[in-house]
Amino acid sequence: MRVRYTLHVVGVLLFFLGLTMVFPLLFGLYYHDDSVVPLLKSIAVTLGTGLVLYLLFKGTKTEIMSHREGMGVVAIGWTAAGALGALPYYWGGTFHTFADAFFESVSGFTTTGASVLTQIETVPRGLLFWRSLTHWLGGMGIIVLSLAILPLLGIGGMQLYKAEVPGPVPDKLKPRIKDTAVVLWKVYVLFSAAETVLLMLGGMDLFEALCHTFGTMATGGFSTRNASLGAYQSPYVDTVVILFMLFAGINFSLHYQFLKGDSLAFWRNSEFRFFIGIVAIFVLVITFNVYHWVYETFSQALRFGAFQVTSIITTTGYVTADYETWPPLSQSILLFCMFLGASAGSTGGGMKCLRIMLLLKHSYKQLFSLIHPRAVTQVKLGGRPVSDEVLHSIWGYFMLYLGLFILCSFLLAAMGVDVVTSFAAVAATIGNIGPGLGLVGPMDNYAHIPILGKWLLILCMLLGRLEIYTVLILFVPEFWRK
Amino acid sequence: MKIVIVGAGEVGFHIASRLAFEKKDVVVIDKSPEALRRVSESLDVQAVYGCGSNPKILEQVGVKAADLLLAVTDSDETNLIACLFAGILSPATIKLARIRGEEYLLYEGALREAPYGIDVLINPEAEAVKTVVRLLQVPGAVDVGEFAEGRIKVIGVRLDKTCSVNGTKLVDLRKKTGQQKILVVAIKREDRLIIPSGDDELQEGDMIYFVSEEKELKAALKIFGKSAERFNRVLLVGGGNLGFKLAKALEGLSIHTKLIEKDPDRCRELAELLDKVIVLHGDGSEQGVLEEENVRDMDVVATLTGDEETNILTSLLAQRLGAQKTVTRISKFSYFPLVSAIGLDHIVSSRLAAINTILQHVRRGKVLSAMALKGEEAEVLEAVALETSDVVGKPLRNISFPKGALVVSIIRADEVIIPTGESVIQPEDRIIILSTRQAIPQVEKALTVKLEYF
Repeated sequence: MRVRYTLHVVGVLLFFLGLTMVFPLLFGLYYHDDSVVPLLKSIAVTLGTGLVLYLLFKGTKTEIMSHREGMGVVAIGWTAAGALGALPYYWGGTFHTFADAFFESVSGFTTTGASVLTQIETVPRGLLFWRSLTHWLGGMGIIVLSLAILPLLGIGGMQLYKAEVPGPVPDKLKPRIKDTAVVLWKVYVLFSAAETVLLMLGGMDLFEALCHTFGTMATGGFSTRNASLGAYQSPYVDTVVILFMLFAGINFSLHYQFLKGDSLAFWRNSEFRFFIGIVAIFVLVITFNVYHWVYETFSQALRFGAFQVTSIITTTGYVTADYETWPPLSQSILLFCMFLGASAGSTGGGMKCLRIMLLLKHSYKQLFSLIHPRAVTQVKLGGRPVSDEVLHSIWGYFMLYLGLFILCSFLLAAMGVDVVTSFAAVAATIGNIGPGLGLVGPMDNYAHIPILGKWLLILCMLLGRLEIYTVLILFVPEFWRK
Repeated sequence: MKIVIVGAGEVGFHIASRLAFEKKDVVVIDKSPEALRRVSESLDVQAVYGCGSNPKILEQVGVKAADLLLAVTDSDETNLIACLFAGILSPATIKLARIRGEEYLLYEGALREAPYGIDVLINPEAEAVKTVVRLLQVPGAVDVGEFAEGRIKVIGVRLDKTCSVNGTKLVDLRKKTGQQKILVVAIKREDRLIIPSGDDELQEGDMIYFVSEEKELKAALKIFGKSAERFNRVLLVGGGNLGFKLAKALEGLSIHTKLIEKDPDRCRELAELLDKVIVLHGDGSEQGVLEEENVRDMDVVATLTGDEETNILTSLLAQRLGAQKTVTRISKFSYFPLVSAIGLDHIVSSRLAAINTILQHVRRGKVLSAMALKGEEAEVLEAVALETSDVVGKPLRNISFPKGALVVSIIRADEVIIPTGESVIQPEDRIIILSTRQAIPQVEKALTVKLEYF
């Protein structure tokens, strides 16, 4: 890999990131809070770092980016964005250690929403806005946004796009990658604008509406309140957020096709049917499970059941109820949702419905061929055959995901964290969800995890967001050889 | 500009890569997932799985919004049907089909007209034969392009050690040689393409491209140390389709031609079809056979069998045995750079010929012909200067032409002008432009609309 060239492109990304920090600064200035100075310092450092990298490694001009370098740019770029994005918190005095600030920042960019903040409401609003904005940037992807806006990244755009939006089956909406990125961001902005307006109609001010929209559309989960969305006690807000979490958990190319006038776009897509079906079943099961046990009325059971299921399965991580007091069946369903995740091509994390669906189909095919040894079968997706190679790579991903989950849980447990918490914390970070069970449950946070454990979870969040391979490749020595 | 390409084979892939580089919206359709993967992994284009002759697929990829449909699969039938359905779905789209079958080409006229409306039919082998014939007519040249019905030629030559102009600056070239109408437009030095200015020097080993009028070609070639003697004796190895067509063309030019073919039945067939060409039965890759046919007195040995490795080795062998010049048929694109490195300058490939011909139809504006320089970093275009174009009506030095592009000649009726900064292009002039790949989109724009728009 050409390290110099990779860093050159990372420089462009960081410069761009520095520019986005201007938005929280505007809020900071408006509210006259303590975020202005740390934000100004962070902007200067981020822009400076970007510019230095860009200029220092400016090589021969027409370089063509290889697949490897694409992955390098994305992995290094995301890590660096996490580090520089942590500066406002660190300088703002929100955290005492850089590890905490870094954790919060990575949790933002990877749309995990796991927080180490104990008192959210005392943090200056400029910083809170930055916290939510990192969700929004990371949700659709820093690279995808850069591709849409910066002409500079045109040449290697494809490689970058594939490294940031891996997915099991590639999906390109327009012939050119730049146009694809623009389309995705248009849909994203459109939905975000709609949700902001709807939340403001529900009584939030612009600041809170924007922050919660960012958290929803990116399937992030950072709130501006200690009690998350539960603080609003409003069925209207819950409903709006449930709807938009679902939107964010659906493949964005379907939204695009639908908006272009293809009214059946959703229904024709088998992953959508699978996703919606699962959500519906789980919501019903949980509703009946918690009705009488926890909630007096059916409508309450439905409201809280639906919210928690969509929040976890789309990997958003907002909470309106303490699901740890729910019956075991409900809890185990939610735990399963953490692994399942949202649709491919959405802003959600987890293993993705598409993968699970294909694995189920493949397993059934194996079973079928035991009954009919001579049968010629083919796994299909939307009527099109799925090659064995794709299936193998999905099985590989599945095993890697589970393997990393187990390994990291053991490591966390080795640091003295209790078993339930270790497993849940790793599941909730690698799946980019946020709240887990035990000591990192819906009403707790990650502040008490040992420092080393936080670093481990930071790695888990990045692994989950970039779908493992892109990050893991950095640890393979072969990758760094020229 | 949206372009739909049916077929992701070598031809489709290379056209797609050229067009994607020029930032055009390209959609490639193929039914081989393998081929599609190669496309989607290395090019910024949309790869669609399906059969290109299927109207449903064509509609799905948005052929209605496409400016061009290029049907370039290996199957003539698929190409024809893809064009026909594209015609039904979207009559305004320009349709181009790659057709190899002779029988189909007999109906070329009818296919071009309604109700079929296929705008261009390209026969790769015929194009390859044309390339070779052009090369044979200009001895000493490595690359030849014809413009203005052959009146103007763009010639590529390699400067040998003995060449008298080595070390000369281009400003001094005209003075030194006394030739007025000669213009060096591009220099290729160690894989680098230079669009030269007056201060650039010619060096030994350079591959240079110059523009010359047909009638002054001999004199021009002499300057660069190339003989202007016409080829008289040609040996063709391999009597396949391409070999036969070339033999037929050479027969017409009354060049003394021998053809060696391995298969006795095919030999008999060829002997029936050809009159003056001597058909020989034997293995052209054997030294004995070549020596027996006096290969050292041959001006040109062309190796045209279907096996490219054999062709390369046979050409090398022929060169060792004393053949003046060899032409080697190669279809694998990855061999091209390698082959010129081992000293085989002349390559013929029906695929490459097809690509070059197709590209000329892809150009916007009134582009009449086009030629890609070796290595494909640059292209030469011949176009009509439209009245709306901003290149018209003022001295060339005042035109903000994109960097990397150069007007190399102006043709006004019968007159050929090698332009200087003072020359003025008039409406309806034909102009020949050399442009690097990077500058091509801008050149295209300059030819169609006023320059202020970009």
